[in-house]
Amino acid sequence: MFETVFNSVVRFMAEYNQFFTDGLKYLGAGVAVIAGIGPGIGQGYAAGKAAEAVGRQPEARGTIISTTLVTAALAETTGLYGLLVAIFLLFVV
Amino acid sequence: MPVRPFFSLSPQVVSSLIIITALSIFFIIMGRKISKVKPTETPKGLLFLVVFLTEMFIGMVKPYMPGKRFAIYAPYLFSIFIYLAFANTVALFGLMAPLSNIGVAMSFTLITFVMLKFTELKFIGLKQKLKNVFLGHVWQLFPIMLPINLIGEISTPMTMGIRLFGNLVSGAVISAFVYAVAGAFFGIFAGVLLHSIFDVFFGLIQAFVFFMLSMVNLSMASDAS
Repeated sequence: MFETVFNSVVRFMAEYNQFFTDGLKYLGAGVAVIAGIGPGIGQGYAAGKAAEAVGRQPEARGTIISTTLVTAALAETTGLYGLLVAIFLLFVV
Repeated sequence: MPVRPFFSLSPQVVSSLIIITALSIFFIIMGRKISKVKPTETPKGLLFLVVFLTEMFIGMVKPYMPGKRFAIYAPYLFSIFIYLAFANTVALFGLMAPLSNIGVAMSFTLITFVMLKFTELKFIGLKQKLKNVFLGHVWQLFPIMLPINLIGEISTPMTMGIRLFGNLVSGAVISAFVYAVAGAFFGIFAGVLLHSIFDVFFGLIQAFVFFMLSMVNLSMASDAS
């Protein structure tokens, strides 16, 4: 039992080279950008509400459109965190 | 193409210094011209543009900053807005966008943090502020609320800085990829599309969001509740 664990640890340490770290870096960067789902749903919801509001009161189009853009830019932040982690993994680590 | 002078500042900081110098000279000259205009005659040309911009800006800030807070914070907010609006669009003129450097973006975090602390100390006072952070309204919840409050103090300026940085760096990275692939001739057409979306559209929206968030946070912090 200890021998199988010891053998696998030795094999892991023998295979741990630059290709391994690079491969895991790219994999991690890909997984990090899955956080882009959040702003997609959130901003789509905000845009839908904006379209509904314009349909209800077409005279207020200008105010509604600028409010929509500002609040959508606010909701974008958490998606940007995922992108920052991915860029950090790719270019800095 | 990035500007690389002999005393090794990074190119984004050089762009930032160029923008600061140009904006300072422009607004100092405009200020002296305004003080010479009589109230009864209408200003013409560039002066009219500046007056119009200031009136629009005062209309936006007045509902949030009643009383003597307006005189303290309105110049700071206007400077932030104008600087960010120019800093995000200067990539169209060949300089590198200043906010794609993490140092410049974190300096905005630091500025906002210092302004918020100064506001709280001036309008709320040190004892009341410490009581808000450590005790809150229900003092029995002290072990749970203390980390949440402490993180909340630092996270509000931090997200404002990171939001600016993330928007600008994504534009810079995607532009670098597209220019590397497209070459010199097709890069111009691709660059028109990229810069108009990432720099002009997103950049101006982010400048406005930063300005609005600063205004709302300062208004909430100086409201002695």
